[in-house]
Amino acid sequence: MSDTDNKKSLKSFYWMWGIGTVIAVLLSLWAPGHFMPRSMSGNMRLTILTMVVFSVAAAPVVAGVYAIAIYAIRTWGVHGDDIPPPAEQVRDNPKSVGTWLLVSTVLTVFLLVWGLTALAADNASTGKNPLVVDVTGQQWLWSFSYPGTHVQSNELYLPVNREVEFRVTSDDVTHGFWIVNMGVQVDANPGTITTIHTTPNRLGDFTIRCEQFCGLNHAFMDANGHVVTSQQFNSWLAAQPQRA
Amino acid sequence: MNRSKSLGIALASVLVIGAALGLAGFALASASPHQTPLVCAAVQGQSKTCSLTMATYPDSGEGVHGKDGGPHPDWVTYSNDNVILPANSTIDMTIDQYDSGGSLNDAFFDQIMGTTGGTATIDGKTVTHVDPNNVGHTFTLRNIPGSGTYLFVSVPLPADPNTDNSVVLNGTHYNKPVVVQFSFKTGTKGVYEFNCEFPCGGSRQGQFGEAMSTFGYMSGTFTVN
Repeated sequence: MSDTDNKKSLKSFYWMWGIGTVIAVLLSLWAPGHFMPRSMSGNMRLTILTMVVFSVAAAPVVAGVYAIAIYAIRTWGVHGDDIPPPAEQVRDNPKSVGTWLLVSTVLTVFLLVWGLTALAADNASTGKNPLVVDVTGQQWLWSFSYPGTHVQSNELYLPVNREVEFRVTSDDVTHGFWIVNMGVQVDANPGTITTIHTTPNRLGDFTIRCEQFCGLNHAFMDANGHVVTSQQFNSWLAAQPQRA
Repeated sequence: MNRSKSLGIALASVLVIGAALGLAGFALASASPHQTPLVCAAVQGQSKTCSLTMATYPDSGEGVHGKDGGPHPDWVTYSNDNVILPANSTIDMTIDQYDSGGSLNDAFFDQIMGTTGGTATIDGKTVTHVDPNNVGHTFTLRNIPGSGTYLFVSVPLPADPNTDNSVVLNGTHYNKPVVVQFSFKTGTKGVYEFNCEFPCGGSRQGQFGEAMSTFGYMSGTFTVN
């Protein structure tokens, strides 16, 4: 194939790559907000944003891979049994190798820095009078107690716009404490208390799930949660039976 | 063999294997080891009320698991794993508790929750909670996640203190049971799941193996029609 033919042939690849990248970026911007659970905390908003940013960053890579695959099939596809001998392989092309290494390094470092920063921010505490909730997993129910109140419940009530510190443990095997809408996910390990923070910022109901396979009724191990106003939270707390 | 033919065979194989796996899964799910349903009996003179009696046994000798207790005669068990209830009704429930007990893993389950008035009657005495260190089993009923219905009832069943060995059921001797009575209301139609929250299964960490990890012993379903 002459240089002119080669460049002409590559033109279709660049078009596919460009169009694919645009489609993938648009999907990356649109899909997470529509298909991920409704955000009820800063943690979840950060999780959705991370999903968007990572997807956008990956869009040209994904589009490039598909464009190469389609280009290769269209250009070098062979029908029948008359298979041509392998083409001469290009073993050194400093420009291509340098570009590939540079782009890969930049992308990887960007994802690493973003990921570590998001991870640190995800569990950061403001230290402003957090509401402490003790979370206990047991095959196959969650229970929640509010230290200092003698209240224990199988439903989780949280006041809006107040930081919550969950102290998570298990009475038997390892469970996974997962509030999907708040981006809170941590293992509940027997004999260990793991702490995680969040601040609910939207009123409404949510579900707490177990995300570690924990036995026969693991699939049924969920609990209802409610983010309510501060007054509603205090009323609910006062109405609960006090354990000795 | 040309490439398109090979591709066709590969695709057909994947479809056939997928269909076979799907059919096998459906057959297994359909053949779940449910016992004959126990139907809540209507209470005469009281509309929308029915009466249900179940039991918890220290072994499987009572007979519901087959001759001589079935494959695991020494496993603790509920009397039924397949119960049918009417929707939007009051269920007057009695559980005869024949088993011994110990301490709950989580004292949360010493409370009576979700029953009418938040109470239960244990051997004639009305209580709101029991001693968490002397529990035989719990009856804990809840909705299945994602079903769109809500139901949560949890009643601890105290350990049986009796040693009289005076009750004979299907040739097996048991002590006189602790009788636990309570009422709760069913809501809309659906399937609900019950299980025991007392660690009574043995074998694994947390004592949740064997009877606690096998359908039909310490768990089952309530179908509300």
